[in-house]
Amino acid sequence: MSHVAHTVAVRASGVDMFFGTPDNQVVALKQADFEARRGELIMLVGPSGCGKTTLLSVIAGTLTPQAGTVEVFGQRLDGLGQEELTTFRRKNLGFVFQSFNLIPTLSVVENVMVPLLIQGRPYDEARARALAIIEKVGLKGRDDGRPNALSGGQQQRVAIARALVHEPPLLICDEPTSALDKDTGAHIMELVRDLSRSPERCVVVVTHDHRIFRFADRIAEMEDGRISRVVDDPKLLDTTHL
Amino acid sequence: MYRLALNMLFGDRAKLAMLLCGLAFSALLMAQQSSVFFGIMSWTYTPMVNIRAQVWVSDPMVEQVNDAKPLRDTDLGRVRSVDGVAWAAPLHTSFVQARMQDGNLLGPDGKPRSTPLKVGDTFEINDIQARIVGICKVKRAFTGGPFVYTTYDRAKGYTLGARRTLSFMLVEPQKGVTPSELCGRIERDTGLKAWTSDTVIWSWGERSLARNTFWWFWTNTGIPFSFGTAVLLGLFVGIAISGQTFYSFVLENLKYFAAIKAMGAGMGVIARMLFVQAFTAGLIGFGLGAGMAQAIGRAMIEKGMPPFVMYPQILWATFALVLGISFVSAIIGIIKVSRVDAASVFRG
Repeated sequence: MSHVAHTVAVRASGVDMFFGTPDNQVVALKQADFEARRGELIMLVGPSGCGKTTLLSVIAGTLTPQAGTVEVFGQRLDGLGQEELTTFRRKNLGFVFQSFNLIPTLSVVENVMVPLLIQGRPYDEARARALAIIEKVGLKGRDDGRPNALSGGQQQRVAIARALVHEPPLLICDEPTSALDKDTGAHIMELVRDLSRSPERCVVVVTHDHRIFRFADRIAEMEDGRISRVVDDPKLLDTTHL
Repeated sequence: MYRLALNMLFGDRAKLAMLLCGLAFSALLMAQQSSVFFGIMSWTYTPMVNIRAQVWVSDPMVEQVNDAKPLRDTDLGRVRSVDGVAWAAPLHTSFVQARMQDGNLLGPDGKPRSTPLKVGDTFEINDIQARIVGICKVKRAFTGGPFVYTTYDRAKGYTLGARRTLSFMLVEPQKGVTPSELCGRIERDTGLKAWTSDTVIWSWGERSLARNTFWWFWTNTGIPFSFGTAVLLGLFVGIAISGQTFYSFVLENLKYFAAIKAMGAGMGVIARMLFVQAFTAGLIGFGLGAGMAQAIGRAMIEKGMPPFVMYPQILWATFALVLGISFVSAIIGIIKVSRVDAASVFRG
């Protein structure tokens, strides 16, 4: 296996994705190519409707593209059935959502336990691991409270703990700071960067928030359903249209 | 995941209360109405309970115990001659007028409206004096009114003018002969109809007069329809309230179920979570409803109100129906969640 194969975490090539009927078709992705490396935090940016979320969904295995190939940590996703995709997500992916998606009727620790319980881990083991990561995200002592009793920043910390508790190689973050103020957003991104920094992990962040671009190792800009360019330095991006 | 599923259910107390109310009300309605129904129906074969003869013999055309077709007195001798009969006694049943000597009619509970009856009191049956020599507690009949038990000869005396007075014959089998076996012999030798006194209406024996009476009322009166409507109403109310509440519970949690799907939970796990939630609510709702039905039943029995017989079968049937309601509710939820696209979690 080549060195390149070792370093590539996510590779999408020639991906097409259409929605709607043949008469009224909306093109979401058109011959999109995307690559993310192990150990890096890459951001997907671009104007609304450019296909960021669709590409993220394709990488996450929640959408199957009409054409093209998708490979995540050496596993081809195109051609997998729904059950195999579900198993793949369970083992390999962590999610941080824009609106946190914490279950309000469960306690903080129970929310964090969810990915482990989905994997079939015993309750006590899941609880112990959840408590450990809750401490890492700075919420020790808040584990038995309900998420609604926490601030937005604290809720996003819980979501990050939930995304990482089962140590997935790929962390998918969808607008993780859009519901947060500048400082809280910066703290959240520091946390994501610190906790996810590992040569065996890759973090893909979809965002509109140019205030957090500085946390990215690379930034992939999307336009009209494809990656228009990839930059190492956020200063090189024109953020006026984002 | 099932523990979390339960915590999700118990975490939303308002929804849970609504769900339990629907299920409990449904279970209450089904169990209570069924118990009153079977209580009232148990009145139809009261003579079988009050008079404990092992075999009853009647005219072949008789279909139920309240519809006696008079027999000839000579039939008694024919029955007594059947092999296996230990003894056979005549029974006359009829409705008569009874009033106290002061003109007071006996009430439906067997008591005159002025003072309670006691041993030694006299009253009139069809204008013929009768003296009370003993009082026994018996099961009330469907038609209401007190029972007067007396000897066959005296009974004939109170019904002057009736040409035939033999309503039934009460027969005891000899040792070693089963009632069912004796029934067969009596029917073969006399051409009369013989019945066992079995009052377990759930059994399948063909010779039970009580069961025949029960089914006669079932098919020839509007009672089952009336109570059946109430039971069905309970079922539909349960399905409507519980289904709707559970559906709204699922709708409120839809985005979380979508997130759980995105995180890698298969539909099998989610379906089982929903079943656990629905069946747990069903179990609690059934417990509350059946408990309330029991409490109401006890109060009814204590106050001598309409009869209440809660057979274990009623509880099992109610339990099964409540679980059915829960199943339908869970299926509605599962269909909704199965249609949710895991990718929807990325749409804000």
